[in-house]
This record gives sequence, C-alpha cells and structure tokens, in this order.
Amino acid sequence: MNTRRSLLQFLGGSLAASFVPWRALADGTVATSEDFFIFIHASGGWDVMLSTDPRNTRTGLIEPPSTGNMTKTGIRLWTDAPLGDGTSSFQPVQPKGSNIVFGPAIGNMANYASRMTLFNGLAMNTVSHPDGTIFAATGRHLAGGRVPASSVDTIIASELGTSQLLPVVSIRFPSYAIDGIDPRAIPLKVDSIGAIGRVLTRSTKYSSAASRDAVTLMLSEEARDLAKEAFYPEPQQNFGLQLDALRGILAGNLKDAFTDATLKAKYPSFSYTGNSQSVGAINSAFALEAMQRNILRCASFTFSGFDTHTTNYDDHAASQQDMFDTIAEFIKQLDTIPHPTKTGKKLADHTHVLIISEFCRTPQINILGGRDHYPNNSAIIVSPKFKGNTVIGSSDKDQLLPVASRAFASGTRAPAPPDILSTLLSSAGIEPSTFVRDGEVMKEVLV
Amino acid sequence: MRSNIAAFAACLCLTPLSAQADRSLSEYRYFRSLSVDLQGRIPSVDDVAAFEDSKFDTDAWIDARLAGTAYAQRVRQIYMDLLRLEVPSTFGFVRSMAVLRRNEILRADGSTVYVYFRNGQRRQNVATDGTFCLAQADTGQMYPRIGPAVGTAKGISDAALNAATVLVKPWWLYRDYTAANPTDRYDATTWATKYPQFRPVDTVLVEKNGQPTTSVRICKEEAQTPVTGTVYKTGRTSNTTPADRLVPLPGDTAFARDSGGKAIACGSDTAAFYAADCGCGPGLERCHPGNANNNDPAAFVLPTRSPLGFEAPFDATNAQQSQWSRFWWSEEAKHFIDSVVLEDRDFRDLLTGREDWVNGPIAHFYKQIQGATCCDNGVYFGLTEQKPLFDTTAVPSDLLPHDTTAWRAVADRGNLASGILTMPVFLTKYGSRRARAHVLYNAFLCKQFVAESVELTPSTEPDLTKRSGCSTCHSTLEPLSAYFARVRESDWLYLPESNFPTVETKMCNKTSLNITCRSFYDPAFSSESGAKLYGAYSSAENTAAGPKGMGEYIVKHPDYASCVVNQVASSLLGRALNEDDKARKDSWASDLVSSGYRMRSLVRSIVKSDAYRTSNNLSSSEWRGDAQ
Amino acid sequence: MRNTIACSFFFAVLIESGCTKTPEPTKAVAVSGKVEDLPGHESLRVDNSHKEGPRTLSAESYIRSYLFLFGGLSPIDSQTALRGSGATVDTTLFDTWSDYLGALGMPDYREDIARSSQTNALMIAAFERIGVALCDRAAEHDLKNGATPATVFTFKKTAALPTRAEFDERFDGLHRRFLGYPAKLAPTDRSSRFFTLLTNASGATTDPTIRLTGQDAGWTAVCYGLIRHPEFHLY
Repeated sequence: MNTRRSLLQFLGGSLAASFVPWRALADGTVATSEDFFIFIHASGGWDVMLSTDPRNTRTGLIEPPSTGNMTKTGIRLWTDAPLGDGTSSFQPVQPKGSNIVFGPAIGNMANYASRMTLFNGLAMNTVSHPDGTIFAATGRHLAGGRVPASSVDTIIASELGTSQLLPVVSIRFPSYAIDGIDPRAIPLKVDSIGAIGRVLTRSTKYSSAASRDAVTLMLSEEARDLAKEAFYPEPQQNFGLQLDALRGILAGNLKDAFTDATLKAKYPSFSYTGNSQSVGAINSAFALEAMQRNILRCASFTFSGFDTHTTNYDDHAASQQDMFDTIAEFIKQLDTIPHPTKTGKKLADHTHVLIISEFCRTPQINILGGRDHYPNNSAIIVSPKFKGNTVIGSSDKDQLLPVASRAFASGTRAPAPPDILSTLLSSAGIEPSTFVRDGEVMKEVLV
Repeated sequence: MRSNIAAFAACLCLTPLSAQADRSLSEYRYFRSLSVDLQGRIPSVDDVAAFEDSKFDTDAWIDARLAGTAYAQRVRQIYMDLLRLEVPSTFGFVRSMAVLRRNEILRADGSTVYVYFRNGQRRQNVATDGTFCLAQADTGQMYPRIGPAVGTAKGISDAALNAATVLVKPWWLYRDYTAANPTDRYDATTWATKYPQFRPVDTVLVEKNGQPTTSVRICKEEAQTPVTGTVYKTGRTSNTTPADRLVPLPGDTAFARDSGGKAIACGSDTAAFYAADCGCGPGLERCHPGNANNNDPAAFVLPTRSPLGFEAPFDATNAQQSQWSRFWWSEEAKHFIDSVVLEDRDFRDLLTGREDWVNGPIAHFYKQIQGATCCDNGVYFGLTEQKPLFDTTAVPSDLLPHDTTAWRAVADRGNLASGILTMPVFLTKYGSRRARAHVLYNAFLCKQFVAESVELTPSTEPDLTKRSGCSTCHSTLEPLSAYFARVRESDWLYLPESNFPTVETKMCNKTSLNITCRSFYDPAFSSESGAKLYGAYSSAENTAAGPKGMGEYIVKHPDYASCVVNQVASSLLGRALNEDDKARKDSWASDLVSSGYRMRSLVRSIVKSDAYRTSNNLSSSEWRGDAQ
Repeated sequence: MRNTIACSFFFAVLIESGCTKTPEPTKAVAVSGKVEDLPGHESLRVDNSHKEGPRTLSAESYIRSYLFLFGGLSPIDSQTALRGSGATVDTTLFDTWSDYLGALGMPDYREDIARSSQTNALMIAAFERIGVALCDRAAEHDLKNGATPATVFTFKKTAALPTRAEFDERFDGLHRRFLGYPAKLAPTDRSSRFFTLLTNASGATTDPTIRLTGQDAGWTAVCYGLIRHPEFHLY
C-alpha cells in the first residue's frame, strides 16, 4: 500500500512478518507506562474571549461578550463591567495568586489555575471545522482532504498503552491511526459509553464463555495464518491482535462497570441532568472508572455545541461553563482517587489532560447575532509534568490574532498545535519528531 | 493448504470466467467483492451456485447489478461520506408561520381541550393580537410565548370557545383532508405499510381524555384558507404589554404603516406577522402540528438513524416538528443521488441538474412550507413573497404529504435550480457561503483550503482576498463563496437582483446603514455611494451567476473528472490512489468523459480493472510456492 | 501499481547484489531488464502480479449481509426476532441496532462523525455480539426445534456427532454461505480447525441452563467462527 511497506515486504525480513512499533524499532524496548492521558475536544470552535483569552472592552475589531449579545444568567463568575451603552461585559476573573486571567465561562476550572498551562494565541491557519479539528489533534492540516498523521491519543496509546485492555477509547473524538500505530491501539470508537457495556454483554443462555473463547482463539490462528502468506498482512494481523485483545477485554468482565447507571451511581458528583454537557459527565466518569481499574491508557472525548454562528451564541457561555465545570469535577476526583498501581499516589499524580478546540470564534458579532470561525485558538494542559499557573503565547489586543511571541528554532512565531503535541509527547517520553512533523518542544513549560 | 496456494497463483493467468467451471479462490474472492460492492451484501448460496455454473457470464452479471439500487446506494455512500447531507438538530427550522403549538384549555364542564395556534399570529381582537386566541377574561389564564399558561384556569364557556376557535380535520390526520368532509383517518396498522415513516406522535393522535383525535380545535385565524391576505394596520405606534397579557400587543412597523390594507401572499412567514386574515390553509397544510407550546414541539415519530434507507429504519422515536423537515430534506438528496446514478444520467447533474425526484413530504414542503423563511426585513426591499429555488408550479399536484414512498420525477425545478446545490439539506447543512463553497471544492475537485504555516498579522483590510495571510486561501474561496451570495445563509431564501441589487444605492450607504440595510448589506464594503450585498464583494459576476454558476464552475473545472474517478475508485479499491495509479486514473477519467460522465461506465471500468479484478494479496514467496 | 513497486524493488535488489559480486550480470540486466537473464535465475518465476490488500466490509454491507443471512428481515424485525418483544424482551442476547452502530464504524452524518474503515477490538467485540445472536437464534430454530424453512443450518443433522466426512460436507455448505467459496479452497487448515471446534464444543457444555448442547452447540460454534471470520469482514 505504500513504498515503505512494500520495501519491507520485498526484503522478506522478519520486520514484514509482524507489526513493529516505532519505539521498538528505535531502542528495542517494550513500551509501558503507569500514566493516563485524557483528551478533550470542545467541538465546534469555542469563543476564547469568554474563558481562556478574555476580552471585555470594545477595541479594534473586538465586540466583547456582553449582555447585548448573550445571556449572562447562570454564569456564576460574571460580574458586570458596563460598556457605556446600557449593556455590560464582564469583569475579568483572576484567581488569587494566579498569573492567569480568565473570562467568566471558565467556571470551576478557575480553581485549578495553579495547575494549568494555558496556551493562547495559537496559530491555526484555518477556519475549517475538519481541518482545524485534525490540526488540533494531529498537528497536521488535511492533505487532499485526507488525514495525514495519527492523532495524539492514538500515538500515546500505541507507544505506551498496548499492555492495557483499552489502549484508547474514543468517544466522538477525532482519533486517527495512520502510520506506525500498533493495531491494538487503533482507537476503540463508540458513540457513547453505554455502548461499550452493551457491546461487551454476552448471553449465557446459548453458549458458555469458554466455548466462545475457543472460537476467538481459533479465529486468531486463522488470522495469523492468512497474514503469513499475504503481501499486505496488516489487516489480518490487526484482526488477529484485536481478537487477542478482545479475549482480555471479555475476561475482564467490564460490561457492568460501564453502563450509564453504574457510572452515575459511582460518581454522583458530576452533573448529569440539567446540563448542556451531561454526556461529557458520563464520559468523565467512565475515564475515572477505567483508570481506577488500570485498563485504560487514553480516553478521548468531545464536548459539543460550540459552533454558534447565530443567536445560539446566547448559550455559548453556559455551554463552556458546563464543560469547564465538568472537567474541574474530573480533576477534583483525580485528586482523591488512589492510583491503581502507585502506592500512596493519587490518579492526579499520573494523569495528563489536554483540552483543545478547532479554532476560536470571531471577535465581531455577525449579522445573525453569533460569531463565525476565526484562525486563533487556545489549549489547556493540566499535568503534573507541566508547569501550572503558566501562560504561553498571546493574541493581539485589537484583533484577537496570534502574536509572534516565542522564539522557536525557526524564528519568532506564534505557537501552534504541533508544538503543544510535541511537548506533550516529549513529556511522556515519546520522541515527538517520529510522529509530529512540524512541532517543537517548548521546554520551558515542562517541570 | 499449499495446493490451494498454487491454485490461487495459477489462476492469476485468467481466462474469461465464463469458460471455467471450476473456480479458483481468486475468482471466488473477485465475485465476493463484486457482490459486496454491487449488491451491497455478501453473495448468497444461490449466487455462488450460479457463479459456479460454466455458463455464468460475469460481465452480464455485472451489467445487471449496475442497473440495481444496491449499486446506486454504493455510489451514494461515497458521496454521502464526503458531503454528510444530514442536518443536525442544532439547526432548528422553527418558523412561526409553519408551526402549530397548542395550549390545554379547561372547559366549563370540567373537561380539557387542546387548542392549536401559531406564535405571533395577528388577530383583530386587541386582547389576543400577536398571541394565543383565548384571553384571560375567558380562561382565567395568560399565555407566554413559550411554556404553560400562567394563572388559575377557569372553565371557558362553549360560546366563548366557539367564538374564537373552530374544529378542523387536518392533513396529518386525514389523507382526504381537502375533501369537504374527510373520512380517511390515520390508521396505525395500515398506514405503516402504505405510508412508511408517516406517523404522528401519539400525543397528537389522542385527546387528553384518551379518545382518538378526529379533528383539532384551532384558533379561527389559523384556520383561514386564503392564499392572499391584507397587511393589517392597527394604528398603534409601539408595542405595549397590557396587564392581562404576557406577550406584548404589537404596534405597527414601518412596513405596516406604509402597506396597510395592501395584499400580501399568505405563504410566507411575513404574512403571519402582518396579516390577520392569513391562516394555515386547507386542512392546515401550511403548518406542522406540535404537541405543546414550546419552540419546537414534537410532531412525528421518525428514525434517528436509517443508513439502509428510510424504509428500513433502526429505530423510531418522537421527533420535533423541525426534524420532519430535516429528515425529508436529507432523503430528497439521497434519492436524487440514487436516481442520477441508477438512471445513468450525466453525473454532472448532481451539481447542475434542474431535475429532481420528490415524494409526498418533499412535495408538501416545496408547495406549502418552503416560503416560511421569507421575508423578514426583506419587506423593506419589496420582498414579501419568496422567489423559490424550486419552482412551486413544478411540484406534482397529486402527491399528498403521506406519500412517503411515491417518488415522482420533476423534469425541471426552474432556472434557479442546480443539482444538490439548491436543495434545503445542502444549504442548511452548510449554512455559510464559505462552507458551501469549501465542501464542494473539496468533494468535487479534491482540493483543500490549507494555509499550513502562513503567519497572520493584524490588518484592517476587510478584503480577505488581499489581506496578508488570509489571501492564501481566500483569494480562491471568496469568489467561490460569491456564487452563494444570493442565497441567504442557513436558509434557502433567494435574494433576487430586482429586490437586492449587488450594490444598493437607494436605501443603503455607509452613513445610512441601519439594521434593515445590515440585514443584507455588508458594512465593511459600503461606501457613501452605496452598499454591497453580503458575500458579493469579491465577484459581482459570480454573485449574478448564483449557485448554478458554482455548479458550472465545478463541472467544467479540469480537475472535476479526475476527482470523480479519485473518489469512486479509492472507495472501491479501499485505498487512496497515488502516483502509481496515474495511468489507471487517467484512463478512467478519459472513459468517464467519453461516456458522457456516466457513473455506470466508470464503475464498470473499475470493477473490471486489473487493480480490482486480478489483484492478489499473496507474498511473492507464497505466489511462487517457495514456502511449500 | 503494487506489482510495479514489487517488481521494481525486486530488480533493484538483484541489481545491487549483482553489482557487489559480479559486474557482468549487472550489465546484462541493464540491457535486457529481465530477471530471467540473470545467471541462476533462468527458471525463477517473477511475481509481477498486481497486489491489493483486503478492505473492511462497510457497516452498511455488514448489516445488509447479516439481515440477508437472517432471512431478509428488516432491521427492526430482526431486532425483535433476536431479543424478543413485549414481556419476552431479553437484552442479554441483543440490545438494539442503534447501540452497535458506532462500534461497527457506521458514520453519523448528522454529527459529522466519519466512517471507521479499520477494525479495532471493540468492533471485533461487536461482530461477536451480533454474530453470536444470529447463530444462537438460528441454531435454536433450525437445529434444536427443527423448524422449517431453516435459515442457516439447512443440512440434515447426523444422528451422532458427524464423522469428518459428514462434517466436511455440511461445513462446506456453511462455508459457502458465510465466506462465499468451497471450504476445500481455504488457504488455511480450516476444515480441520472447525472440526476440532465442533467436536470440543459438542462435548464441552454440561451446564443445564444452556439451551444448546451436544451437536447443536458444536454447529453453533462453527457458525460463530464463520460469521466472525476475518474473511467475512475483510474482502
């Protein structure tokens, strides 16, 4: 299917006989980790002026969020800052002792400013949903409409997660396995967490677990035999490895743990009703449960409803607040739940959270009362390996565009998603240049 | 096992299939692939048996399948994956004119009755003008725009109820709703077979007391049937909220003051706001039912997913009234793609064809509902009635809203129509001009707007074709977007040149750009001499050409044929085409063009090609039998 | 394309090895460009066949095939047949189709969720979940109850466990039904494997709560193996 693979095939070496992860090619080690990684996509493109890169005055192109263009009701951190025309924007939110200034939609995440690394003024160079989404998750723009690189969750799952039953569970996140990915780390994509439990349920009325397992084992052998004679063995190899993985997953008897009812009962502190982001709450509860059971390496999921071109911008702040409140509750839980293998440690000591969106929204209000797509962005990392209370990058005062503010090897420029992904991979001990073509590690943010 | 490999390898020197009685593994696999791609499923035992017959003619079998619906659905799948023509629920098609809500009213005898009404309906009674038709004096309650009534209900007298409301047998309950006395009422058992997916929600079919609904009680104004009404001028200068109402009593707008007493077409949203004598039409056919007083009440039971076609749904759930429209918009596009492929029409028709295929719900939409988004502030530019992208006179007159499976060809939708580009599903799925241009550029020219590492610097240049950094993509995108400047964003409302000149000089200029002007004209491209239509700044020519200009641009583009080949072949081969496929791709593109852009010819060429037909997946050592 | 690549590399390696050892053949190769002109390679068959790897069955094709195997029922009717209805609903065997669509890789156009064209462990789990339901219901109908017309197991059961020959005959029918070709052409030791599977499954179950036992359980296991087979899902 491609030249590299054809060469390996033809040379007839053992490399062609089975999948070889990049890490193994590099140093011969078997990857392992006791860390967990959570990836969150605010789908639709968020308005950073409301939360991560606040604006509350009319300057240049900027028409700030105000009572004239949105509803402040229910936004707990909103304090009026009059604009002089009868409408009010908000007073910036700066937690005590924090270097970071937020907008009011940051909600309870303001409580975690000291652990937050905030990237502002990200150069997205796109205002296309698919392109921005792919760029944020893979560090590459679309090439001819196709995704050219693997997403960060899949890379980490491939490099560090194949020993887990669930290397990466992707719930409507832009997860892609393109090249150099262990087949066991191909994202387990589902529409909802409840679907995992239902897919893993097995009837005991017609056949025994042992009988079904014997079939799986036999099929795994069939897949391997088919792969042995194949010019392109990957599909059959992958099938065989995934059959093996399934045996482990079923043996783990996970079906009951991952129903909505079970998760809600075990993690009652999330807001599951009356909340625009209740699905995100279930997903968060799932991630906590899977981490506690030490069966997961990465969980990636989406909070939706941020594409607000029209009067639905009215609810944008509330949607962001709901999302950030959910993430804040997730971090609070991480602080209390013991790590499954590290004695004396909490999950928070070994869990890394990346929050992205595809771009931000225009500083102007459009004709329909909403905000359109804008090629700037923010991203948030909460990780014990990153310096908290830190802001990297900025946007310009009048137009909310990325400012060339950091010295990279290629010169001074604005940071971009590949830099964030490279830095995150580096912090996890993965050589970023293997997977991210353009990024540069920003060492100053690492602990 | 090895002998099988040898047999597999030997068969690579293929002779015509029909000459062989004993099939090789590669031939079976080829047949299985053909079945999956052209029949939509694995081959049956009978299919396999037929294939093993020495007289089996593979070419004839392929040709027969290329006349079948499964093949059309396979091609449709390719383009649906690219275009994703289903509209999310976040696009709420909620227009006052087209949505009937209902309140629950206590009668004097202690029973309750549902009374249907339209939000904002104009009435000559000042107690109810612009709101629900029963006043606090009659019911003891006041009625908000959304939500249940406020206050303690008192039983309304029959006289008061009958004075304000009337009983109607509506289209969603009766197939013969246009008859003087309709009798052919909805029957769950028989209609499920005769009109699949036509199923009102239970709460619309049954009264509060559990009895079947045989007619609906509706405010008299909403029950009116004229096609033309008159602009209602009240003499009130402003909106006020009397003590016995929750919704303000509407005053006259400038349009009402200027046009009071003049005729206005009832098939627009504007009519509901300006005329007290426009209603939902015969059998309430201009309105959708709703089971509550909220913005988008439930109306019909619909599938949430139906990837095998709406006749084979995976589930059925109570859906908002807006979902009824969104669901059938999508089915229209799917059926259009299927028909172009199945009838082996010029595939360029997908973007440029004026023909269409409609069923009952779609015909109903075009005849009765599509005008609902007209005209807002367009009235100040003389637009009080839509100029539809789908000419309503072309809609088959004998299709009823229940006729879900009766698809009729429409030879010509009118001179504004252009393939899928003027269909509601496309125009709402891709709400903005740029989104519309972008997805077409990507799906049909295989090109992407990607700026990679361009640095954006602050600039006051509003022209994105010139602005540093932005111009990389927008120098191409903006002129393409201009093709859609005359179709309002997130809407299908066409903005005619006669009402909306590309440069407006009479009402709008830089200093007089009020909210009315700003509804259609772009402040960033206005001067003292006039204002420019939104989206038109980069190309007046493309603005004038409209969506069909976009269709023509794409199908005449040198990359169009090769892109069609690329999309179809990569899907059938299950991999991206690359440089090594160039000769093959060029040949297929040439075939496509010479066949008059017939998809059947292209797919036939692909499934008979060496890449599809005679390929194997054997390693060289296995192929040679070295491993034996 | 792929045969071109394969052959190019083949020549490239031959040329390289020739250069390092004997200069003359290199010249000869350069002139003729034919591998058989190389000394010692006169009888070597060159694989210039076109190569294409298998594709994953789309979710739509998978479900259509499944419904076809189930006798052409609609999705909702098949769902009812699999899980029962009303008071007899039993979701241990099957939930709803909608529960599985995401795991099967079905795109969601409304939400802009793309199609998954790679298999993963959860997709494999869904194949098992759905495939097992078909085989269980079919075995109950065809084998245990002997109802007609049979849906999947259209052969006549043997009085005792089938001999290898009896198995091969019946297995071939099932193999054609699910994988579309005679079992004897299978490029693996398939009949033996499945015979072992049937034998083991037939004698394994002693749990009295399990409805399918003996030979019925054996054939059901064979059905599981075929509907979950890599060749069923990759084409």
